[in-house]
Amino acid sequence: MFKALNRWLGLGEGGLIEGEILGINMRNALIQRYNPRHAIERARDKVAAKRALEAAGISCTGTVAVLEDHQQVADFKPSRDMPDAWAIKPARGSQGDGILLAVRREGNTWYKGSGAALPEDMVMHHIQKVVDGGFSGDSAAEDAALIEPLIIADPALSRIVPEGLPDLRVISLHHTPLMAMVRLPTIESDGKANLHQRAIGAGIDMETGRITRAVVKGVPITRHPDTGVNLIGFEIPGWKRVLELASKCGPAVGLGYCGADIVLDVNDGPLVIEVNAHPGIEIQNICQAGLKSRIAATGEDFR
Amino acid sequence: MIARVGQIWANATPQVRRPFYIGLAVAAVLAVLVGLGVANTETFLALPSSFEGVAASQAIWGLKPSNLLMVLPLGAFLVVLARSFIGLKAFGLFTPKLIALAFLQIGPVMGPVVLCSSVLVGMIVTPTLLKLRMTRVGFLGVLISLIVLVLVGLQMVLDTQLQVGAFPVIVCALCVERWWKQWGKDGAKPAARMALNTFVLALMIEFVMVSDFAMALIEWSPLLMPATTAVAIAILGRYRGLRLSEISRFAPIWLERRRRARAAAAEAAGEAVALPEGVSEDRRKGLPDTRRVPEPEAMPEPPPQPPPEPVPEPVPVPALAAYRTPRLTPLHRSHGMVLAALAGRAPPLRGMWVIGSPDELRPGTRRRVPQPLPDRGARSRPRLVASGGRAVDGRAADGPAQRPPVHNAWVIRKVEDV
Repeated sequence: MFKALNRWLGLGEGGLIEGEILGINMRNALIQRYNPRHAIERARDKVAAKRALEAAGISCTGTVAVLEDHQQVADFKPSRDMPDAWAIKPARGSQGDGILLAVRREGNTWYKGSGAALPEDMVMHHIQKVVDGGFSGDSAAEDAALIEPLIIADPALSRIVPEGLPDLRVISLHHTPLMAMVRLPTIESDGKANLHQRAIGAGIDMETGRITRAVVKGVPITRHPDTGVNLIGFEIPGWKRVLELASKCGPAVGLGYCGADIVLDVNDGPLVIEVNAHPGIEIQNICQAGLKSRIAATGEDFR
Repeated sequence: MIARVGQIWANATPQVRRPFYIGLAVAAVLAVLVGLGVANTETFLALPSSFEGVAASQAIWGLKPSNLLMVLPLGAFLVVLARSFIGLKAFGLFTPKLIALAFLQIGPVMGPVVLCSSVLVGMIVTPTLLKLRMTRVGFLGVLISLIVLVLVGLQMVLDTQLQVGAFPVIVCALCVERWWKQWGKDGAKPAARMALNTFVLALMIEFVMVSDFAMALIEWSPLLMPATTAVAIAILGRYRGLRLSEISRFAPIWLERRRRARAAAAEAAGEAVALPEGVSEDRRKGLPDTRRVPEPEAMPEPPPQPPPEPVPEPVPVPALAAYRTPRLTPLHRSHGMVLAALAGRAPPLRGMWVIGSPDELRPGTRRRVPQPLPDRGARSRPRLVASGGRAVDGRAADGPAQRPPVHNAWVIRKVEDV
């Protein structure tokens, strides 16, 4: 009787073999089993994750400064310490909250991508707000501000999109990359690579690194709506390197099941920006393939 | 519509069917329990003051106020079921239970009315409150005051005993806060959907709580209900299959897969593919035929090759002629070459001596050789290597011969000239 019940609950031996779609329940079970609490905390903190990744020899986006307390903020002087183009991120921010980007500098004034001016005191105010924990949900009282040089996308990719930075999401289990997609910003998504805001999600073939399918909000498309470039068959430059990075990310942070966010820099090629401990399952709808069957194909024995 | 659903169902694979059956079974059980609870309800519209001091839950359902605590484990169980089998997402684990508790305290209809009106007021006021840029605590304080204001207003209008205690006030304030946070995070639509889910779940918990089944459990022993729910959550909460809502979410994958499989089968069947029932003609006829052309059985016999042409006799290579010293032919003075040399249009003198004076002909003297003039422009020309490597364009290769050397030579014709 217990066997039958277990079978129906998906706990039995055939739990991974039957079916191909990974549901949220199964994903949560995977995370519970393979992602220890401390590793999830580390992945959530961008600064800690970056340290762990760099210690493992994984190329990450560069760092200008990390400001962890008010003492360091007081010593920081943007006109002296900041490059011409940069990004300020809260270490514990979620969903792109509190990220400030500057694309160029004139004297001691920087300019956003939209053209709005960012004088030095405005930059300082933003850093102050980040360190005060203004973008870190309600739990963290203090946060660290992570300042990075601005990433300029690989010309092969930036030719496709009108604005914004496309990023790759690779989901991997232990050392095996399972599924990958690239998120391409559109004008409608305001240059953000967020699928909820109508950015394009494009599934990538794991072997060749070519885009097989592109979707906006569940509607399949073949061309980018703004630039008109044909997406199907587009080959991601440096795909081998992307896979190599993605397979090393999870173990470096301590996560068994994770989603790595990777960008393609114009100079440095693939760079890891973030490792996600709770990657979403919408990628299955975009790639039109099941994660569960791929996990089963790795020989994973999950009960 | 029903035929269409039936058709889809007939094509569903077991991996779709099993979670669907499970989800439906859970939903059906919940529906039955809710139905029992509704049947147990004696009056819907009674106001709390008409019960003469008896608590609403006892007067309407016979649920002792001391047993109201049982809502918490039962509510947890139902929230877990709804989330992991059906996919109803609510504002956390606690909010639906607390709302259900408030409903039980106020009454089946009046509860939702009171709660919804105060939450609505809170939602309307929140954007203005956030503009005041208060701290979270201050924000909550103002919100609670406003909600109490609404509740007291309702009390004055409807019934003097409407508000049982402080409890519904807190529930309302927390609801508004949660709703607002969700709105900020996901946008208005998902937040509204979640609020609706929470409301439905609260109603469900309320009626399951007063159903015969739950009441019997509580009657039997107050310990039984928490123990039962603990065991049930421990077993059912580990469900790892698909949720009911995920079936529709990932349906495009299965539909696409099925369409492809069907297309592949049709391709394999070749030309003799039977049209499905009810389709009289193949509408794909106008479209380009993407089916694979069958490989021809065998290559056609190649045409017979013409007989090889006769190879022509090799032409004998003439033997090298014996070396003969070239005979020098004196040119006449009026010969073109001589005239050209005389006219001063002579080609640049390279590798020649320039005789400037009769002294230079004496043996042992140093003779002037035309030197290439230094090319000042070459210094600013682009170079590949900073230390004077190869220039980018080939101009420097033929460098020295750019300007002809000065023609200041004498033309010697006779011995007397020397």
